[in-house]
Amino acid sequence: MSETHTSDETEARDQLLAIAEQFYDQFADGDIPRMSLPTRSKSNIEYDEDADVWVYGDSQSTRSANSVRGARKLLKSVYTVDFLAQQLDEGRSSTLRELYYLSESWDEAEAQFNDQSESDKLVEDLEIVSGVKREDFHMRPEESGAKVMGPLRLREQTRRGDREIHCQEDVGQGGYQIPNNPDTIDFLDTDADFVLCVETGGMRDRLVENGFDDDYNAIVVHLGGQPARATRRLTKRLHDELELPVTVFTDGDPWSYRIYGSVAYGSIKSAHLSEYLATPQAQFIGIRPQDIVDYDLPTDPLSDSDVNALESELEDPRFQSDFWTEQIGLQLDIDKKAEQQALASRGLDFVTDTYLPERLAEMGVL
Amino acid sequence: MTSFQSTLDDDEDGIAEELAASQREISVAEFFEKNKHMLGFDSGARGLVTAVKEAVDNALDATEEAGILPDIYVEISEGRDYYTLIVEDNGPGITNAQIPKIFGKLLYGSRFHAREQSRGQQGIGISAAVLYSQLTSGKPVRIESRTQDSETANVYELIIDTDTNEPEISAETEVSAAKSDLRGTHGTRIEMALDANMRARGQLHDYIKHTAVVNPHARIELQEPGGELKSERAEEASLPAETDEILPHPHGVELGTLIKMLAETDSHSVSGFLQSEFTRVGSKTATGIIDAFRDEHFGREMRWRPPADADLEATVADAVANKDATHTAVFARTVADAVRDADSIAPAELGALVADAAADAQDDTGTSFGETVQANVVAAVRDALTSDRVADVLGPVDEATTVQKDDATVRGLAERIAAKFESDGDTDRVTRDTLDEYVFRAAENTAEYADATIGETARENVADALWARMATVPDDPPNTSALADDRDAASDLLAAMASVSVMAPPTSCLSPIEADQLEAGLRTEFDADFYAAATRDADVHGGDPFIVEAGIAYGGDIDSEGGVQLMRFANRVPLVYQRGACATTDVLGDIGWRNYNLSQPGGSGLPQGPAVIMVHVASTNVPFTSESKDAIANVPEIEAEIELAVREAARELKSFLQKRQSMRKRQQKQDVIMDILPTMAEKVGELTGRGGVDVSDSLARIMNNVLVERARSDDGQTVTLRVENHGTGSVDVDVTDIVSAEPDGVGDDASVVAMDDEYFVQWTPAVAGDDAAELTYSVDADADCELSVSGVADARLTVSEADT
Repeated sequence: MSETHTSDETEARDQLLAIAEQFYDQFADGDIPRMSLPTRSKSNIEYDEDADVWVYGDSQSTRSANSVRGARKLLKSVYTVDFLAQQLDEGRSSTLRELYYLSESWDEAEAQFNDQSESDKLVEDLEIVSGVKREDFHMRPEESGAKVMGPLRLREQTRRGDREIHCQEDVGQGGYQIPNNPDTIDFLDTDADFVLCVETGGMRDRLVENGFDDDYNAIVVHLGGQPARATRRLTKRLHDELELPVTVFTDGDPWSYRIYGSVAYGSIKSAHLSEYLATPQAQFIGIRPQDIVDYDLPTDPLSDSDVNALESELEDPRFQSDFWTEQIGLQLDIDKKAEQQALASRGLDFVTDTYLPERLAEMGVL
Repeated sequence: MTSFQSTLDDDEDGIAEELAASQREISVAEFFEKNKHMLGFDSGARGLVTAVKEAVDNALDATEEAGILPDIYVEISEGRDYYTLIVEDNGPGITNAQIPKIFGKLLYGSRFHAREQSRGQQGIGISAAVLYSQLTSGKPVRIESRTQDSETANVYELIIDTDTNEPEISAETEVSAAKSDLRGTHGTRIEMALDANMRARGQLHDYIKHTAVVNPHARIELQEPGGELKSERAEEASLPAETDEILPHPHGVELGTLIKMLAETDSHSVSGFLQSEFTRVGSKTATGIIDAFRDEHFGREMRWRPPADADLEATVADAVANKDATHTAVFARTVADAVRDADSIAPAELGALVADAAADAQDDTGTSFGETVQANVVAAVRDALTSDRVADVLGPVDEATTVQKDDATVRGLAERIAAKFESDGDTDRVTRDTLDEYVFRAAENTAEYADATIGETARENVADALWARMATVPDDPPNTSALADDRDAASDLLAAMASVSVMAPPTSCLSPIEADQLEAGLRTEFDADFYAAATRDADVHGGDPFIVEAGIAYGGDIDSEGGVQLMRFANRVPLVYQRGACATTDVLGDIGWRNYNLSQPGGSGLPQGPAVIMVHVASTNVPFTSESKDAIANVPEIEAEIELAVREAARELKSFLQKRQSMRKRQQKQDVIMDILPTMAEKVGELTGRGGVDVSDSLARIMNNVLVERARSDDGQTVTLRVENHGTGSVDVDVTDIVSAEPDGVGDDASVVAMDDEYFVQWTPAVAGDDAAELTYSVDADADCELSVSGVADARLTVSEADT
């Protein structure tokens, strides 16, 4: 990030005000105020060959004041733009949740948000229309990024000045906390050979306890379910800047495949930021349906919603590879799913001593 | 029990006959006492309503007959022992001689047998009220009458002799106009004392109010101890059209009536009978009915075709014996040619054909071919004709069956049907029932042997095709007296009458209120937001034409709680009691009112909401469920028409309600958008630092509105009114600018009216969808203007008076 904050802020502000200008012009021309957005659905994401990620396609939805719903949305947009512009002016920041509560104080009742998902989505809309990232509006999510453990030294710009941190030596058992905007981090040096993203906290703790990060020179990133933007951004930077291979280790069920999908391909909701967040080179370790068979893991049967999710993944453009078609097909066939912890049925060390080394070797990471 | 009339006509043990037979045995008073519940006098409360009803009906009839717009005054007062009922009209008045006719014997009204719409259809009307008064109070009825142009009024006191059932005038005086109680210069006033109470006040008021709705041409006033009720005449309401008496319609008579008519007619022939005793039957229709009767009664004859290789001339020649050979050949050729020309021919037709040929041959040759010869020839030709019945049956059978049937099945069926004809002997004459039986049995057998299915439809098609090929027989129908004695034959005639289409009966015998008058009636009685009325075309039930009308009033001051108000009418008379037993109620309950945007809990029954639904059945004979004439009987034809009439009016209601709802939604939308857009504009003005921006154009476009904007030139002297239509359809807008100084340069398309120092400049431009019009004029720069726009619904109008 070579640009100064001030120019970033000015640009973000100008981009936001351009939305207001557009509305003004529409009023002045006697047109119906409106705003065009890419359609944010599975059917409108397409593969960007150059960036190797999934982005929004050409299909556009128009939000116009022609309907009461549309008019309310536009009014809220204008109020939100006003708020963000002011925040940038004052050099402050706020969380998405704060924005939702703040709207309660707006004088115009029609502009207030009904729930936080509405305000969250509107901020994403504004990101798309303005081409400015949420972070550059100084909007933070409530929960921060996940934790990192591994042989990595970095420097973070904090409100209390720059700090140098080694992600094994300078941190506790919990690891290094990824800040909301990982672009405030500079990587100094690393002994790591690869990045291992882990879905569940329990598995992360097992790997750390067994010393896997030490033994295999791995940076263990805890995803904690669907990974936050900051986690995904950091993972991408670890790959791009330190040229480390990225691997993803999750449960063996359809929801976990989507976690991998959002790390590797980008999520549908934030496809406008795929280039910034996705790590297309990320590799999936498991648990694969194949592993369930090969290691004879304890399993649960698939629920109806699991089956629906798997079938929907078969139609998801992001999962149209031989690997996923085969694995999902197999899973539907065996009608079983397994958690990461199922590996403990072979002993607590099985995952670090046998499973991961075998899989990583197979994938050519080790 | 159906109405008196049909009971009287059909049933030998009908009430009227019973009454007539027992007249000498029991007194009328006794009869009345026994039957008063049937006549509507079962309680004091109800007796009063019935008496008012009968007297008012009578008064309306009397005035209308004289061509006078009715002005009816009803007064009920409570005396020490009795109630006094006064009903006064502005009719022509009555004379001494008319009194027995009007207050005639119970059940012997002049209208009893007329096929003409009238209120007092069953003739139990006013005389029953008089009798009720007399029996409960013991006092005579006082009648005061003044005829038109008369200087004096006559006062009569009248009693009904309960022994002879004859009205008797007990006192008669002449009073001067000044001393008369009559309110007008002519009319009749009936005053009767009777045992009564006002417990049925609601029904009484309903009756008056409802009477006013269906008689918009009448003015009705009610004074009663609890208050008054006045119904004014609707503007421009005229007298109902006069009605004519008509004969029964062929589609409406019942068997009993028909037999009775057959027995009583002066006509000898059926044709004459049909033409003279029924309406809408001329010689052509009569012939049609008689042909249909022949088909019903005698059956038809199958037409056969001679085989292609048959030598008909030889057949004929062989059958003729001992005649000149040359002459015989002429005869034979004539017969053969005629048969070939006819293509296929039935026995009766053949007989006629041979007779004709014989006559022709005799003319040509001088040789007589007598009856014996003709009979021989007919027999011989018939043998030839019927030599291959299967071939003749096969054609229609093949055509009538579907292509899926294989040839063997079709042929098998044809063979079996042909065999039935063959085995049935010489006549080849079958009724439709027998033909159906032939086809049925043949189909059953074919199905069994050929292992094929011949369904109901196929059988019917085959029978239809064969029937169409058969010839109506020339036999003469029995004469009327024979038919009257032969119930089965009369039944065939009735079926024939029903099968032939006959023009609907003339409606001159009916006097519908007509939709516009009905709507006017509803308007005068109900302050509602919406009115609709529908009058159906006449239809027939039981030989009586009828017309159904329906009206709906909705919204406004009509009570919105609970079910809608249902008003039922028969021949302009409100039906007050027995709502639950009435066909009208049944029909309305079966209509799915939710389709018409009215709420209907449970999806059946009367709908709910602020509505009044009225149904009027006008007929020469309205079928009631009982003699008190309170509920219309469930006659399918009438029910169907009631449904159609109500649905017709309800469709208008639906579109009104939909429109209103969409206008309301639109108004709600506009309210929200009107709130949002200016706030949004203000905010973007602040944000961009570009100041305020006008949203009215955007708003008009969003709302598909008509936007009227005034702009003044920089010097303030030129005013431009711009009318933009952002909707899709064309609009006619009334634009008026009220200016405080005299305007100048007003175009030809505008008018200027000066009033109290103000000038009204008015345009009425027609602006197409998505188009705009500009209206300009000049005025002093200091002049004030005020825009007024009409012709567009408020919800669709945006007026912007921003002066620049």
